[in-house]
Amino acid sequence: MKRFYSWVHSGALAAALLALPSAASAQRGDSVYIEDRMNQLQQTITMLTGQLEQLQYKNQQLQQQLEKMQTDHEFRLDQLEGKKGGAPRAPSVPPPPTGPNTAAAPPASGAQGEQLYHDAFKLLQDGDYAGAEKSFRTFVQRNPQHPLAGNAQYWLGETYYARRDYQNAMISFAEGYKVYKTSPKGPDNLLKLGITLGVLNKKQEACAVFVRFAQDYPRATDLQKRRADQERHRAGCG
Amino acid sequence: MRMIKAIAAFAALAIVAACSSEQAPPPANAQVTPGSIADFKQNVGDRVYFDTDMSSIREDGRATLAKQAEWLKKYTNYPILIEGKCDERGTREYNLALGERRANAVRQYLVAQGVPADRVKTISYGKERPEVVGSDEGAWARNRVGITALQ
Amino acid sequence: MMIPRHLRTVLCAVALATMIAPVAQAQLTIDINRPNFEPVPIAIVDFQGDPMGGQIAGVIRNNLQNSGLFRSIAPGSFIEPNLGANAQPRFPDWRNIGATGLVVGSATNVGGQIKVDFRLWDVVGSKQLTGLSFTSQPSNWRRLGHIISDAIYKAVTGEEGYFDTRVAYVSETGPLNNRTKRIAIMDQDGANNRYITDGATIALTPRFSPTLQEIVYMAYGDTKGSPPRVYLQNVDSNRKELLGNFPGMSFAPRFSPDGSKVAMSLSQDGRTNLYEMDVRGRGQRRLTSSPAIDTSPSYSNDGTQIVFNSDRGGSQQLYVMGAGGGGERRISFGEGRYATPVWSPRGDYIAFTKITGGSFGIGVMKPDGSGERMLASGFLVEGPTWAPNGRVLMYFTQQPNSGGRAGSVALHSVDITGRFDRVVPTPTDASDPAWSPLIPQ
Repeated sequence: MKRFYSWVHSGALAAALLALPSAASAQRGDSVYIEDRMNQLQQTITMLTGQLEQLQYKNQQLQQQLEKMQTDHEFRLDQLEGKKGGAPRAPSVPPPPTGPNTAAAPPASGAQGEQLYHDAFKLLQDGDYAGAEKSFRTFVQRNPQHPLAGNAQYWLGETYYARRDYQNAMISFAEGYKVYKTSPKGPDNLLKLGITLGVLNKKQEACAVFVRFAQDYPRATDLQKRRADQERHRAGCG
Repeated sequence: MRMIKAIAAFAALAIVAACSSEQAPPPANAQVTPGSIADFKQNVGDRVYFDTDMSSIREDGRATLAKQAEWLKKYTNYPILIEGKCDERGTREYNLALGERRANAVRQYLVAQGVPADRVKTISYGKERPEVVGSDEGAWARNRVGITALQ
Repeated sequence: MMIPRHLRTVLCAVALATMIAPVAQAQLTIDINRPNFEPVPIAIVDFQGDPMGGQIAGVIRNNLQNSGLFRSIAPGSFIEPNLGANAQPRFPDWRNIGATGLVVGSATNVGGQIKVDFRLWDVVGSKQLTGLSFTSQPSNWRRLGHIISDAIYKAVTGEEGYFDTRVAYVSETGPLNNRTKRIAIMDQDGANNRYITDGATIALTPRFSPTLQEIVYMAYGDTKGSPPRVYLQNVDSNRKELLGNFPGMSFAPRFSPDGSKVAMSLSQDGRTNLYEMDVRGRGQRRLTSSPAIDTSPSYSNDGTQIVFNSDRGGSQQLYVMGAGGGGERRISFGEGRYATPVWSPRGDYIAFTKITGGSFGIGVMKPDGSGERMLASGFLVEGPTWAPNGRVLMYFTQQPNSGGRAGSVALHSVDITGRFDRVVPTPTDASDPAWSPLIPQ
């Protein structure tokens, strides 16, 4: 840029010199002048081309950032409002089994356990992460086979994550993925594990998790997939 | 005897030839025939230099090329080959193209000053035939060059 | 010297019957896309029988060691130094010397042909990973070593090997201001070096055709002032022909993946644009028309796109367009100048040279320009080329010139993680490597 201006400057100076009224050099000066002007215009076009490319690129980047922020917000709102398989009332909680096989299924402490889960979730919404942590952990310990156990394990991880205790969050999400892989919160556990690993600067592991995510959960929601894609990018995965 | 004389003469010739092919420029006060290639190199200057990555003719180059054009219009018997060269601080393929652009910038300038276009050919050596062997700015500056070679 | 390139009729490969061993979990696997692992210790026993067996084992040791993925254990420490292809190894003896993998084989001369059997054992898992048998002419012994190396590499990494390949490069000799630059071809490991051009004029940028039958390169003409042009040359007969009859300088040629076309640069009046030549029909088509320099074209692995180098925006950057021209878009936006883009044969990366300030680097990025990663850097490093598996690259380095003497110029190879970088030995100074595809079998 600087170089360009100095060039233009010297070009203009030369043009001015050449334009001095000298009968003998008039003809020669004309063609040199035209040559100079052509070069100057060419340089201007080149510079503008470069600037345009840069601006288009910056624009594209900003747009992507904006979209990412939007989906991030959506994701969090959805999580809190419990729209997308996250919350107690969510449709993703399998309905209690009915029919002849029922006898084998219900967890030991059925309805009582569910109350504990709801209480824990309430604490989480209120921002009492330590309280929520304790309650979710108790719930999982007492009802490891409960249909909501995978959810509880996920939210347990979130109580750490919210407090930036990434080490425990990582362990918790990993446990959630390992033990409750097929639970409705399976994909969330794995996704959040990847994100946590990213935060912990374990890029290799994070990238491996995102690969696993695509393999294990081809039917994840679009929101989850988009999030996984973004995080994969952010971690700079190959 | 005759044979020995002939060999001696030949040897003398060879020594002269070796001397004339020395790279060192002749002393300033040496007599050069006006209109000779030596005259062109010594009294006009056969080369112009470029800034890094640039192919526009610099202010010092303009003066040289103006003198070149005057001389070349006066002595019209030489075919002209402009050699464009680059320093080593670029990639091989790109530098071939950059050398061509430099040679062409010199050519256009001479043609604009009245040297007939069909007398002037160009060739690029990219970074393949440096004028100066070295890896410092001094060497690079002298390798970013357009040389007006007379044949 | 003629080197048999095709083994077609002379090479026959069959799988050996798997030898049964107590099955345990396999341990001998390497993920080559991840950095920071220790080279896997592997024991390669001289193949038993014909003396040629020892030489073949030597080729394999050298290949695997040079890949950076393996550490070849010195044969002096072997407890079973005469183990053949069809004997059951005593695994504890191999574990004792730290081997994870074990390669055994035998070579037999059968009526003028050589028959080679080999097996790769997973020592930790006490399990056979692969076993093959080949029959070929004895003169092909080096190639047999390469083919077996590829089989081992594939069994352990899951990726195709790259040892049965050639490298074309520019051999450089003499003082810098009057340097002889001629095209040479050698095996990937430096063996069988031979010259393709005579060095009378400067020849540069050799590139292989997909069949390895031909190379394209750029060479200056015989008379002073005649511009460089692109030549197509048969590597066996050395018959060469001019490719395209353009008025100006033509250079930077590269084959399309199917070998039917060659993209190249043509310079005229200070502008350099890209053209495409039909190799057989000799039709030509203009691909770009910018007032700037467009050069170093490289086709995508599927042949539908071309990445190239242009300074249309004021500095050298990388651009991608459709293979027939059009739809040009810039993909490089980092600090510095970008040059010599080369599309990976797998399609997942574009390798490039990057010039930032006073230093040069070799890097890779995804075809959309994201995920840029540098693999090597130095005073002057340039011209990456891909191994056919798209996981290893070669490039060249130049040391600074000093005291009027040329700095040394050498080929290097580096893996995709940038972890394992080594000099590729050549008989002379060497630049501008071009890695061939796998040699057709």
